[in-house]
Amino acid sequence: MPHNHNALRRPVLEIEDLSVGYETPNSLVHAVSDVNLTVHEQEILGLVGESGSGKSTLAFAVMRLLKGDAVVTKGRVRVAGQDVYALTPAELRSFRWKKMSMVFQSAMNALNPVMTVETQIVDTLLAHQPDWSRERALARARELLELVRIDAKHLKSYPHELSGGMRQRVVIAIAIALQPDLVIMDEPTTALDVVVQRSILDEIREIQQREKFAILFISHDFSLVAELASRVAIMYAGRIVEVTDSETLADGYRHHPYTEGLIRAIPHLTAEQVVIEGIPGNPPNLMELPSGCAFHPRCPYATEECRQARPPQYPSEHGLIECHLFKPQREAQHV
Amino acid sequence: MSEASQLIEVRDLVVRFPIRDHGKRTVIQPVDHVSFGIRPGEVLALVGESGSGKSTIARTLLRIVTPSAGSILFDGQDVTRVKGRALAQYRRNVQMVFQDPFSSLNPARTIEAHLSYPLRKHHRLRGKELGDRIDELLERVGLTPTKDIRLKYPHELSGGQRQRVAIARALAVSPRFLVADEPISMLDVSIRAGVLKLMDDLRAAFNLAYLYITHDLASARYFGDRIMVLYGGRVMETAPSDDLIRNPSHPYTRLLLAATPGSGHRGKLPETSNRAPNLAADRKGCPFAERCPLATSECHEVEPPVVAVTPEHTVACHHVTS
Repeated sequence: MPHNHNALRRPVLEIEDLSVGYETPNSLVHAVSDVNLTVHEQEILGLVGESGSGKSTLAFAVMRLLKGDAVVTKGRVRVAGQDVYALTPAELRSFRWKKMSMVFQSAMNALNPVMTVETQIVDTLLAHQPDWSRERALARARELLELVRIDAKHLKSYPHELSGGMRQRVVIAIAIALQPDLVIMDEPTTALDVVVQRSILDEIREIQQREKFAILFISHDFSLVAELASRVAIMYAGRIVEVTDSETLADGYRHHPYTEGLIRAIPHLTAEQVVIEGIPGNPPNLMELPSGCAFHPRCPYATEECRQARPPQYPSEHGLIECHLFKPQREAQHV
Repeated sequence: MSEASQLIEVRDLVVRFPIRDHGKRTVIQPVDHVSFGIRPGEVLALVGESGSGKSTIARTLLRIVTPSAGSILFDGQDVTRVKGRALAQYRRNVQMVFQDPFSSLNPARTIEAHLSYPLRKHHRLRGKELGDRIDELLERVGLTPTKDIRLKYPHELSGGQRQRVAIARALAVSPRFLVADEPISMLDVSIRAGVLKLMDDLRAAFNLAYLYITHDLASARYFGDRIMVLYGGRVMETAPSDDLIRNPSHPYTRLLLAATPGSGHRGKLPETSNRAPNLAADRKGCPFAERCPLATSECHEVEPPVVAVTPEHTVACHHVTS
């Protein structure tokens, strides 16, 4: 759907000017810089980036799960209107799961190996709904498993008795158990086979439409995100370099040179032409970011300006683009 | 296929492993009567999900696993059970590139050390000759300036660069056949295309043949001349890449295609369950029957014959006729 439809929808996640840094002995290394992003109710927003682009750090910052040396250096995160960083630890505990939850990449690590599926779901429910009876929680657990298409007999199973796909379905069931407004999914299907991946994505879409929560879907897989999400944000070296409607990722639209490179780098399954082209160079080291636009050493269109100054965000036809080439003026070069 | 022109030929390959299932001894058969040939300079893409037997086939070709039955011919020579000098000779011709460039390189050795070992051992190179050859290999895989790269340790390189080192190491012994087991699946998207293109260039430059193992049909179509689809240890369908993507005949190939991002498939997947394949050595019929929307009682009982839809396109399915 075009992004202007979102003007009518309530924002569920609002990230404003967020920066997250890791403290090292000598300096503060920014993994997320000046990020602005909004996810509206019932929307699936895809967040695409390579390893080290900061997409998982961003997700952890939203969940207020940053650990160790990672600190939010500026900006704000609001979920369902509430500033996540203004909550007390006790409030935060109930806020997570009830308002926002997260599905991690590795389902094996997200589940406790010595507890049955039943115990894990029922405990989560009772921790957040102390007035519920055990029977009521168990009934909800059954309902949740049915929602993710797992036979209720697996309530008695331990995680190791389930296949990878089933484990990831259980994790999704727990994430939506308390009907949160926002679910963050960090590469939820990356470790799975294509067929299982596809059926889980179909289920996610179906449950999302029924339960009406918003999803921030993080992935490195461009074609997968383009199919699932209505809008896509592209992250490079800690910055959101483009936000666009996912249908523009097909041919014929102008994009950020990095997005353009990604589109060219993927072999397409059914296209007539099967020429692919990699992006030269490597993703940057966050400790020694290039000057100006961090993508300039790999960019075929880079000019002196790109080497000197970081580009501001310009509005594009379908979202935002952070690139000097998109300066709205006559002499701007054509891509 | 004329037999003489095959570089590597696999006939009726069977691999069985004894396992314990809930304490009970039983035998699984992850590779079940698999046959194929690869010509010099040809790329055969082997596609299948986890548990389909693709990595076991790779390990068997490298003689890390000994086949239970069937034969492997290299350049017309039977190498199924060769030992000692003959095995070493075979391994000079057949090399492997692994999925994970983080664990396939030794973290305590420099890049130079990784390349000099095979060159000293197999080609007995020393001194300047050795150094020149290392530079040549690094240049060949696009790792320059070689003088800097040689002294680096794996952790100082990116994933894509490490995979290039692994490819250079495989090339060091001048092989004629490379087995690449998911060589790009752990790399960043922007890097994958470059590594695939490198492998394609090497094919042209050295007339290298590849067995390219992947779970991704899109990259199989890009790099493979032919695609062979494996399920539960059996070959379901083999065809020239474009033909397989455009005219998939086997219900499993159709399922795989429908599930691949970018296929344009909407709605329910053409499968009746999502059970993992039964690998038991004594299973009957077609391994895909349990999930197949077309399955009949015959499919559960009788192994489907291999049918040629065209001379180059073969399918093992009761529901496909030539």
